[in-house]
Amino acid sequence: MTTDRILDLDREGSSLRKRPRPGELLIRGFLFVCGAISIATTVGILYELGKESLLFFQDDAVTFLDYLTDTVWQPQAGSFGIWPLVLGTVLISIIAMVVAVPVGLLAAIYLSEYASPRVRGFLKPVLEVLVGIPTVVYGFFALTFMTPLLRGILGTSVVGFFNVASAGIVVGILIVPLISSLSADALQAVPDSLRQAAYALGASKLEVSTRIVVPAALSGIAAGLVVAMSRAVGETMVVTLAAGASPRNFDLGQDSLFGYVLNPFESAQAMTGYIVITASGDLSYNTIDYNSIFAIGLTLFFMTLGLNSLSRRLVKRFQEVYE
Amino acid sequence: MKLRFGRILAVVTLLGLILAACSGGSGDTTTTVGSGSSTTTTNIGGEVSDLGLPVVDPLDVVGGVDIGIAGSSTVFPLSTAVLTQWIDEGGPEYTIDSIGSGGGLERFCVEGASDIANASRAIKDEEVAACEAIGRTPIEVRVGSDALSLVISLGNYFAQDLTLEEIATAFSLTSADATWADVNSAYPAHPIQLFSPGADSGTFDYFNEIVFDEAQPSPILNSIAEIVGEDDNLTVVGVSEDGCTEGDLASTCAIGYFGYAYFQENVDVLQAVAVDGVVPSAATVDDNSYPISRPLFMYTAASVIDEKPQVAEFIAYYLNNVNEVIGEVGYFPAPQSALQDAANNIKAAAGWE
Amino acid sequence: MTVEAPERASRGNFPEEEEYRGLLNRRTRNARLFQAASLMALTFAVLALTTLLYTIINDSFGLVAVVNENQPEDIVAGLGYDPAETSLADLSYDELVGLLQGAVSSGVGRRLEREQRFYEDRLVFETDAVWIEICSSDEPPPGCTAGLRDGANVFSLVQERVVVPDVIAAYELVPSLLSPEEFDAEVAAGFESGRFGEYTPDQVNIEWRAWFSMTFLRSPASSIPEVAGIRTAIWGSVWLVVITVGFAVPVGVGAAIYLVEYAKPSRFNELIQTNINNLAGVPSIIYGMLGLAVFVRLLEPITSGAIFTDGVPPAENGRTILSAGITLGLLTLPVVIISAQEALKAVPDSLRSAGMALGATRWQTVRSQVLPVALPGILTGTILAIARAIGETAPLILVGAASFITADPTGPFSKFTALPIQIFQWTSYPQVEFQKLAAAASIALLLLLLTLNAAAVILRNRYSRRAQ
Repeated sequence: MTTDRILDLDREGSSLRKRPRPGELLIRGFLFVCGAISIATTVGILYELGKESLLFFQDDAVTFLDYLTDTVWQPQAGSFGIWPLVLGTVLISIIAMVVAVPVGLLAAIYLSEYASPRVRGFLKPVLEVLVGIPTVVYGFFALTFMTPLLRGILGTSVVGFFNVASAGIVVGILIVPLISSLSADALQAVPDSLRQAAYALGASKLEVSTRIVVPAALSGIAAGLVVAMSRAVGETMVVTLAAGASPRNFDLGQDSLFGYVLNPFESAQAMTGYIVITASGDLSYNTIDYNSIFAIGLTLFFMTLGLNSLSRRLVKRFQEVYE
Repeated sequence: MKLRFGRILAVVTLLGLILAACSGGSGDTTTTVGSGSSTTTTNIGGEVSDLGLPVVDPLDVVGGVDIGIAGSSTVFPLSTAVLTQWIDEGGPEYTIDSIGSGGGLERFCVEGASDIANASRAIKDEEVAACEAIGRTPIEVRVGSDALSLVISLGNYFAQDLTLEEIATAFSLTSADATWADVNSAYPAHPIQLFSPGADSGTFDYFNEIVFDEAQPSPILNSIAEIVGEDDNLTVVGVSEDGCTEGDLASTCAIGYFGYAYFQENVDVLQAVAVDGVVPSAATVDDNSYPISRPLFMYTAASVIDEKPQVAEFIAYYLNNVNEVIGEVGYFPAPQSALQDAANNIKAAAGWE
Repeated sequence: MTVEAPERASRGNFPEEEEYRGLLNRRTRNARLFQAASLMALTFAVLALTTLLYTIINDSFGLVAVVNENQPEDIVAGLGYDPAETSLADLSYDELVGLLQGAVSSGVGRRLEREQRFYEDRLVFETDAVWIEICSSDEPPPGCTAGLRDGANVFSLVQERVVVPDVIAAYELVPSLLSPEEFDAEVAAGFESGRFGEYTPDQVNIEWRAWFSMTFLRSPASSIPEVAGIRTAIWGSVWLVVITVGFAVPVGVGAAIYLVEYAKPSRFNELIQTNINNLAGVPSIIYGMLGLAVFVRLLEPITSGAIFTDGVPPAENGRTILSAGITLGLLTLPVVIISAQEALKAVPDSLRSAGMALGATRWQTVRSQVLPVALPGILTGTILAIARAIGETAPLILVGAASFITADPTGPFSKFTALPIQIFQWTSYPQVEFQKLAAAASIALLLLLLTLNAAAVILRNRYSRRAQ
């Protein structure tokens, strides 16, 4: 920051030299430690997951190449291809974002641009309640409300008892407040002077919101989107209950792409669902099935890492900085 | 809580007299454990139950020692029912974790962090080895039986009696257009829908063992079965609402399986299938004529009992009282001989004569 | 960034009158549509919330079919009274105690007496000799010194132990209000199908039941759904939230302050930033695995409290509230950091420059100028973190939350359970009464959440008003 140069006073006038303040150093040290805790967490996770994953990959039944390229996940048959589970996770997350991003963003814009402070002060926490509802309730909501709804609209032959669509829609509803609250905060933080200037030039509210305020708040909005997407990828209970527990094993040569592989109305187990069910199930520890959950956990970790880096890069490109 | 006015009154009076007589100290069976400088003693009254175990009064069990019980989610409801009664009668408030048979045995045999492991299957050799490695020789305590019930909806009018081969055929169907006629050409050609728990579940393991002779990989996983996650209530909903109707050959007829407790609670919306002509019931489970009934166990070790005599007292109470609550929970009593073996094992480990 | 000039405007000229008005109308119309769309989005979210709350509340209250193991009329008649004139509540204290004596086992009776006596001058279940012995021991039970039971207390005991109401069927709230006769039909059908075992239709009473009630909140867990409650779970959840927030908020805000105010842009700090963003997306169960390995196993001496006492440690192993709380704290830390960062970044630099120009140190500027302005955003992050921590199930299972526990937690080194775990357990029971209990527990969870959030929201509103 430019303020640093202003403080660089030790050229002359030593009477102006700042007093050494050990308190500052202490505080700075403490704050650094706080930041470092996050590094320690990552190191811990990578070590823990890596150690157990190594056991998994060392087993004769699994090769690393198979893990990355095979499209069948059936531990009992010795097939450990990651793609079916990745497919489940990706399908659910995409559907969730398709639901949550428009709803969340538009709701955020309404809250920050159109709503009065009193309405905003009331509705924002009300929406935040959505995040607090136990995910088990969401899971049953998906099963007892969303799935029958979809089956009623589209027919029971199209939509299966377990399907990815209802899990995705419900996860989308769950993450709406993550987008709306963080985005609304970011939008509100945009200095009013910008809006006033635009109104003065005759712009309508739509134009002000979409062309001025949103770009200015993009960093905050993107943060909200990233948090939401990460939550969608990591959501466990809803997908376990509503999307079923069978991985969508496929064969690209044989199965139709849109009829089966990408079909949102059939069941597909997600990576998180598999981890939870296996970890709390009846399998013995140190069997290859059990150790596979660590490999999947590691994969999830790197997947979200990739997603985040990508979105950060995109945000940097489109971000507008004010003041 | 069962209520029989006169009988309870009689027992209360009798116990009161016995307690009054025994409070002097004669005729008591006392277990003394020295731990450092303090000595813990629990008085177990001289009365002995049908199994030859002492009648444990939870109120007299020495507190301050916590007992960790962890393991199978199938045995969990049974253990909580017994523990609730134990606490109601003044016993120390122990805790139970539902983490699966594998997890429970791991915590008992590898980590050594629990005192009793619940399991819906027998302990495996590797687990026994792991236990011995930390100085615990597992003692098997049979506590009950569960009958795996195959269920169909009320509207299903033809599949009330299936053979094991038909069941195996049904649960290995792979075509999306499969019908009941593929199971047995005599059956009407309703589209078939299957429900099964996943490979992580002890229920699945046992079903696979009996129906498919432990085939690895199980044909169920490759079939058109809807794999239900943790919650068997989903199978209840899926099967009972299948819409199977006589006269409408397009309606789907579903079949699924789970522990008997789930059938017992939903007997108004489901029918239990007779396997090879045998319906699951207390009688058929007891004489083993129902082919898919599985044993329920608890495991502990002599070294654990040495350190915490309360473990033996709790298990004694458990064995003495389990048959009172097991019907409500939805399981079946273990054969008397198995209970007696378990009682003998505990008596030997605890040093009661 | 300028407002785009309306299209087709010739250079330097405004469009003609009609063209201008047409364009203006179109822009106004678009603006209105957009406003409607954003309002619809908001409404959709609120609707979804309402539907979810509706399903929870619908399951927590309603009609139930109850069979009493012993009908009050039969009990009263058994004592020689005319049931038409005397009811159970009219019985004398002595008669009620007598009923209790005949109904409960000696074990239960003695436990009840040790908690609170029935009479001053005589013992009902215990023998005098034993009573004197236990009252003079090192830890006398409460009954030795507590006051006597009163009529209301014994009456409720009689209800619970002698009458023994057993719920055999339950109905939802809205259908109970709108079409109660359908429930009667359902119960009748239940008898036909044999679902209710040996009970007969004349034993059944249909009555209202609030599964969510004060008794529900105050009772410990039990395997009997009619008396089970969530007291232990509530205390567990409260303790967890306190430890989680107590860890995550100071550390998170500290980390955010460091990253925004102190850290110079460098590859290393980039790495920290990406790392934090990534951690926000790691599934909760992975944190559970981490917590199990590090806090439960590795740091067992600390988390079980063993190093704080010389003799017997407070906990046997590391599966304590402390381990779980810090695990959840690590879980929510990234979200707190990210939202705190955004809040801090949104504070205009002019405030910082002004502070520095007046000679304040960096920390003084941050503390007195930047933080208050950023507080609303930081509180948003806290709210989201609390919400997440309260609702997590999977990591708690791994870190050792008990599935069945009746003793309240007494400190950070206690065994515990939490509301989401209780809810999850109850939903997998086959008996329908447990589904109702799960719904009632969800209400409790939401109320807890709302209470905690209300405090944060009030603070947020106060500070945001001040900033403006």
